[in-house]
Amino acid sequence: MIIDHPLLGPRDAAEFVVLGDASLIDRPDGMTATVEEMHDYAYLRDNPAGDHRELWYHEQGDRSWLVVTRSTLTHEVIKVELARNVARAQGRSR
Amino acid sequence: MDEITLEAAPVLGGANLEISGNRIVERDDLAIVSIATPLDGQDALAEALRNGWSLDVPDPTRSTLSGEVRAIRTSPDQMLLIFPHATPDAEATVQDRLAGTGYTTDQTDSWIVLEVAGPDTLSAMERVCPLDVPSFEIGGTGRTVMEHMGAMAIRTGDDSFLLLSASSSAVSFLHAVETSYRNVT
Repeated sequence: MIIDHPLLGPRDAAEFVVLGDASLIDRPDGMTATVEEMHDYAYLRDNPAGDHRELWYHEQGDRSWLVVTRSTLTHEVIKVELARNVARAQGRSR
Repeated sequence: MDEITLEAAPVLGGANLEISGNRIVERDDLAIVSIATPLDGQDALAEALRNGWSLDVPDPTRSTLSGEVRAIRTSPDQMLLIFPHATPDAEATVQDRLAGTGYTTDQTDSWIVLEVAGPDTLSAMERVCPLDVPSFEIGGTGRTVMEHMGAMAIRTGDDSFLLLSASSSAVSFLHAVETSYRNVT
């Protein structure tokens, strides 16, 4: 599988480590969230047949975190974004 | 008690191989210092780099060169500075010129640097490096895995590269590169 890195261009998936569902970016505030919210964040994942947003880490490359949108039906990589840009677009400071 | 004198030795013993007109040389004269960008400090760091070494901040996949000092982009907020330096105070000399505009770490002894050159270099690189190295412009860089070892390649000329890899697996890395040359010559 080839991941088209937004800064570096096409790179082999062997250079990356996959973490899983990109919803991990949206961690609730641990000081205010309820136990149920933290439980859902830690344990509940969607398992879609189709487009899936995942966090990938370019460990053997530029050490950037990426949000990769990938089809679980065809393995097609549809979109690749820097995770920090995704987080900033959601209002995070960095 | 006897006086003990320690002498620094290159990791690969100063390897210098000749393979059918190609050459693999260990460069142990180079210092390597990483520079990380403070949050929102890109402009100040770029100015310090220009004033200190007449160097531009390299774009991703590129390196910039001024005299014998090379800056290599390694990640969105980090670069490596590679330059000939004989004494073990490379980080301090870099920080002197940056004056706090970047976070510096001395990485000299963490890496080995191989200089590879010769007519079969592109063929040898194609077989050991998963990046599309023939498409690299001169000065182009990439970090990847070669034979399961993390490595960085910098194209320094039509038929020459600098290869960086961890000093802890330096012997295996040299073996991988040497084997690739022997397979194509």
